[in-house]
Amino acid sequence: MEEQQEVEQFMVPIGPQHPALKEPGHFLITVDGEIVTNAVVRLGYAHRGIEKATEERNWVRNLYLLERICGICSHIHATAYCLGLERLAEVEAPPRAQAIRVLVAELERIHSHMLWLGVAAHEAGFDSLFMYSWRDRETVMDLLENLTGNRVNYSANVLGGVKCDIDIVQADTIFMALEFLQERTRHYLDVVTSDAMFLQRTRGIGVMTRLQAEVLGVVGPTARASGVHRDIRAEAPYSAYPSYPVRVVCEEKGDLEARFVVRINELFESYRIIRLILEDLPPGELREKMPRRIREGETVSRVEAPRGELFYFIKSNGTDKPERIKVRTPTICNMMSVVKLAIGHQLADVPMILAGIDPCFSCNDRMIILERSHAKQEVWSWERLRQHGIEYYHGNHS
Amino acid sequence: MITTEEALTIATEFAENWLWTTETARPEQNRLDITLTTPDDLIPIVVGLRVKRLGYLSAISGLDLGAEVDEFELLYHFCIAAAVITLRLRIPRKNGSVQSLCEIIPSAEAFEREISEMFGVTVIGLRNPEHLYLPDDWAEDQYPLRKDFDPAVIRSST
Repeated sequence: MEEQQEVEQFMVPIGPQHPALKEPGHFLITVDGEIVTNAVVRLGYAHRGIEKATEERNWVRNLYLLERICGICSHIHATAYCLGLERLAEVEAPPRAQAIRVLVAELERIHSHMLWLGVAAHEAGFDSLFMYSWRDRETVMDLLENLTGNRVNYSANVLGGVKCDIDIVQADTIFMALEFLQERTRHYLDVVTSDAMFLQRTRGIGVMTRLQAEVLGVVGPTARASGVHRDIRAEAPYSAYPSYPVRVVCEEKGDLEARFVVRINELFESYRIIRLILEDLPPGELREKMPRRIREGETVSRVEAPRGELFYFIKSNGTDKPERIKVRTPTICNMMSVVKLAIGHQLADVPMILAGIDPCFSCNDRMIILERSHAKQEVWSWERLRQHGIEYYHGNHS
Repeated sequence: MITTEEALTIATEFAENWLWTTETARPEQNRLDITLTTPDDLIPIVVGLRVKRLGYLSAISGLDLGAEVDEFELLYHFCIAAAVITLRLRIPRKNGSVQSLCEIIPSAEAFEREISEMFGVTVIGLRNPEHLYLPDDWAEDQYPLRKDFDPAVIRSST
């Protein structure tokens, strides 16, 4: 009998491809009935060898390459790189440039968090929240386009400063947009904490205690939703953050609901910081001159991306090309928590737990159910797994 | 909350009173580099940092020091407040190996798998030593972040 039980273990491969989400990843999930008993992750489907590629390009060209690591948090990659390199070259970007960097970074955080809100709502089957939040996100995208000329890879940074200034008309547009967004955000906070159907998908699901969060090494809003006070903007203020101090948003419960509340409350914090910057934008130049060759040395640059701590290690050998650039993105820290958190949960909760960390990858196209005893094979699309999640909960509670 | 300067002072004191000789350096105001003389020191010193609650493992960077030196350097970055405490460890380029930190810090797994496949460093005690980023059919003796890696190898195979 025992042997047969072992044979009937279900292995559910999910991924790697899905056109709706940004990057591909693969999960191999072992289930006992509906309950997940083990999960393994495999990454690298979008590995483009950028760290290696930086070694063949000069410092200026690398800025544009590194900005393209991520299509959502492109600005923060460029900021981490510029700040590190400026420290190595002993060049300091002017205060106005630093303020504009932070301004764009906070606008980026708003668009990233709203994008996530939509994706996570969609995974829960709450498509009206998805559509409204994405409609409102367009407001931020327009602001970013208005400021920098681009919607996605803004290229606001140059080595030694920024390339775009901000005038009174643009500042007024931002103030007006923030009024609108603030009101909408209040509504979203109300929805995610009171909608009974939605709370069934989030409250008490994927709970990560503070100790677990520390052991698993998670970063960003995922850590802060478990009560870990970790925010580089407050711990190690960089760029203009010393002039505009950030209040760290934390929740104690550590479930999916807490992750929603943390990210939505961070939106309010971003609105506050943007207003502070616009009211008190330092005058002056936009950039300092940077040498083409950077003196020999090493530096570490840490910044707070929308998803958590982004870590850059830069080593220069005195030429116009880097010796080594190491990039550690926040998702790799958070990804390992998904495979641990999923264990013991319903298979139907997996899409939400994955969405909960705001993975900057995650695309799961088809899943294959292998029932080895009968050698039967069935292919599920991500759509069907998602639908399964929605129906599972709908059936139980209606 | 411990401040950056306090953390660096405790860490410096800890490293300088270590059982064996370690060198410490302050390359930047917020950074402390601790150079380990032997790979055997890695586990005890990491345990020491954990016991003293000196930060979390933020990243592991690998460096290829080139054919002349014929060594790799592994950098274990521990962060606390604005401080970055880096353990620097050199291992030979040929058949170099290092102990896994997973027993002490489970989140080290992803970083160690990356080091292992990108540089060809053997990480002893890794529960899942398979590829994390590179394809399953990646050539066995090709390590992309080594300085002598020739990208033409991939172009010819695809």
